[in-house]
Amino acid sequence: MYRLLIEPYQSGFMLRALLEVVLLGVIGAAIGIHVLLRRLTFLTEALQHTVFPGIAIAFALEQSLLLGALVAAAATVVGFVALTRDARVNADAALAVMTVGFFALGVAVVSHRSGYASDLSQLLFGRILSVGSVEVIQTAIIGALVIGALIAFHKELVLVAFDRVHATALGLPTAALDLLINAAVALTVVAAVRAVGSVLVVAFVITPVAAARLLTKSVAAAAFVGAALASLVGWIALSVSYDAAVNHDVRLAPGASVVVAFELLFVVVAIAAAVRNRRRRVPVALA
Amino acid sequence: MRAFADSLQSPLFRRALIEAVLVGVIAGVVGVHVALRRMSFFVVALSHGTFPGVVVASLVGVSLFAGGVTAAALMILAIVLVGRARAVDESSAIGVVLAGAFAVGVLLMSAQPGQSRDLTAFLVGQVLGVTTADIVRTAVVGALLFTVLILFRKELVGAAFDPAGFGALGYSATALEVLAMGVVAVALVTAIPTVGTILAVALLTVPALAARQCTDRLGLLTPIAGALGGVCAFVGLAAATVFGIAAGAAIALTTVVAFMACFLGKRVLA
Repeated sequence: MYRLLIEPYQSGFMLRALLEVVLLGVIGAAIGIHVLLRRLTFLTEALQHTVFPGIAIAFALEQSLLLGALVAAAATVVGFVALTRDARVNADAALAVMTVGFFALGVAVVSHRSGYASDLSQLLFGRILSVGSVEVIQTAIIGALVIGALIAFHKELVLVAFDRVHATALGLPTAALDLLINAAVALTVVAAVRAVGSVLVVAFVITPVAAARLLTKSVAAAAFVGAALASLVGWIALSVSYDAAVNHDVRLAPGASVVVAFELLFVVVAIAAAVRNRRRRVPVALA
Repeated sequence: MRAFADSLQSPLFRRALIEAVLVGVIAGVVGVHVALRRMSFFVVALSHGTFPGVVVASLVGVSLFAGGVTAAALMILAIVLVGRARAVDESSAIGVVLAGAFAVGVLLMSAQPGQSRDLTAFLVGQVLGVTTADIVRTAVVGALLFTVLILFRKELVGAAFDPAGFGALGYSATALEVLAMGVVAVALVTAIPTVGTILAVALLTVPALAARQCTDRLGLLTPIAGALGGVCAFVGLAAATVFGIAAGAAIALTTVVAFMACFLGKRVLA
């Protein structure tokens, strides 16, 4: 156990990777519960693709990847609002157009360079094992901002998510609260994309908290349980991927290992919840 | 333009052009149902979900098309199962399944060293590697899909607009939903091995959405979307050779430019 779960983290790069996974797991669960409540999964998925050209252009110009991702995320949120103001463009359509357009732009930028295959897969799948201290600190700052805002406006955000009409009647600024959530999702994606790449971010945001929601009853409880599960499962998955590489000579991409572990967690919890519900339902049906 | 004219001399490029335009027309027409049912997220998800199937097929050495179809079928099943658990809504179910499927693909791929080229091919396609057999298969699949769409046109459109009312008429909304998903999935997996995921998703969603900007009439939507898909494929492939960028990305960008032209053009004219 010690050799599997503790020893790998004596080297700096593994410790930083673990810190990053835990941070992202906690931020992902905090924002993820709002993504689930508001059905913003497609927005999250779209953002993880639309920040890609920002990262690709910043990479090509040797600028800060964080800055590139932030600019692209802001452009996405603005473009989304502008497109959906038209009655003939629904949210689904706007997100599809922007996902395709931005992502293709990123691939076009990268593909213009020779030998782009390895650059592309680095940008797509992230490099969690080469995360630096600066990136971990940046992630922690983004996390503090996102979680701080979510805690400060917790009651308002939950009310708007469940009952928009009631919230409007109470005089809550629903448009501003929507913007806050969209910005928080965008920031989370930006923080995660450098470490886990452009395709797997959505798993950090929704999968652990979707499992946690099956086990809990309140919004806050789901976020806490989701964060705890994500950290624990992320830690185990990272350790297993390290152990497989060092002791068994099997290469398992660490980012993907963490995501697959999240999925296994969801499957186990979903099956357990289904069995429990069935047991509960039987006496009612008999009566 | 010289670069494009020179490329036309090569049979490789001519085959690529025929395949791209064929896929463009098929995807444009099928895309009308994606637009009507707001299935864009499903298309994005399915494109990721076929990835492990393609990886396994290339490891085992069977046809990529078969691998893609199997993975797509499993993915539709998983989405329905997770959705039925009622724990999460449909879009979250799609999200959980899509990220998982993609991660499994990455994990399988990472176990083999030196596979990043396969991945790039999956993303942007190998349109210049298209064979005559590929073109024939695309044409046959396209003809089959068109036949299904024509035979069930009334039912599919009716169920898309008013599933409850259509259910009351005695039709099964679920069966029609699965039919629509199936048609979209077949169109997608036909396109992916040759033209890549980005392009397949782009052609299945954007031309129909652009056509929707140009007309309110359903009868006109399908021909406009099909024509736009074909034209975008042609122009995009030409642009890819002229500017030296990945073909899939160039065609996808062309569809988005067409969408923006329709979107803004409508406002200028109004």
